[in-house]
Amino acid sequence: MVESGTSLEAKGVAHPLPQACWSCRGPVASGAAFCATCRALQPPAEIDHFRRFDLSPAFDLQRAEVERRYFALQRQFHPDRFAGKSATERLHSVQHATALNQAFGVLADPLLRAEYLLQLSGRPVAGGEAETVADPELLLEAMALREELAEAEDASAVAALLAKTEAMIGEIEVALSGAFASGDLAAAAGLALRFRYMRKFVEEATRRRRQIGA
Amino acid sequence: MAYSEKLIDHYENPRNVGSLDKGDADVGTGLVGAPACGDVMKLQIKVGADGIIEDAKFKTFGCGSAIASSSLVTEWVKGKTLDEAGAIRNTEIAEHLALPPVKIHCSVLAEDAIKAAIADYRAKHAPAEDASAEPQVA
Repeated sequence: MVESGTSLEAKGVAHPLPQACWSCRGPVASGAAFCATCRALQPPAEIDHFRRFDLSPAFDLQRAEVERRYFALQRQFHPDRFAGKSATERLHSVQHATALNQAFGVLADPLLRAEYLLQLSGRPVAGGEAETVADPELLLEAMALREELAEAEDASAVAALLAKTEAMIGEIEVALSGAFASGDLAAAAGLALRFRYMRKFVEEATRRRRQIGA
Repeated sequence: MAYSEKLIDHYENPRNVGSLDKGDADVGTGLVGAPACGDVMKLQIKVGADGIIEDAKFKTFGCGSAIASSSLVTEWVKGKTLDEAGAIRNTEIAEHLALPPVKIHCSVLAEDAIKAAIADYRAKHAPAEDASAEPQVA
């Protein structure tokens, strides 16, 4: 029996009403992966990444737990398991696998997870194509780091900069955890932006280290 | 995707790379960043007594399009008044360099940088309103 639309809405599920199974046209509970009548694989539900992994939206996640859920779900929907099924089910299994990969990519990465949480909270972190930031403190820090990197002459100097930045990122993650826990989204948005700049710096420094060849 | 010759030229031979003295009263500094990619751009102008921009320098840590956009802007603003320089639009930069659509934000960054530099210069030269704006006692 399918739950009523009202109670599903109360849980905030994206599709409050039962869908018709694409195969047998029978009712499929919102978010259900398989038709209860004919067992056909349904397309992935349009739900957020946390819900896809049956997790509550939160910054503090154990990576091991995210991985465990990811691998369990991938096993369930892996295209290999549907190799002998209809073309539609094979397509759906690929769509499930893609949705799981996208969710894992976001949930397993603290920067993307923070930005995604802000987006879900209706406070997207600055990052639109036409947006610029003019936070002098952040930019001076970013500029100073880039200048130090440009002047770094050997691998050990680059490694020292990388270690310093990685430590700063660790501090940002701790601060993000606190900001999200206390619901201070403005602080979280500022931290996420600084995180993005630090991430970019780590990428550049890593490339530089490869160029120097160490 | 083919980049235009002008863009490649500015990227490979960037004009006016460097820094001016930030503390100099004749120098305005604009520092802006692109949050989407973590790029950072510094653009500085040196303004003569006649109000004409006589020198401009930039330092950009970012992609080729961001470097080319800021290089181009430093060339364009020299010899201009602050108002003329402030009227430069990112669309002109994007058009001149034939920036591909995904790189339009680099020209936005350059426009914001020159505006910020002008604002910084003007702030240095604005009458000290905070000190002199005491209400007059009637």
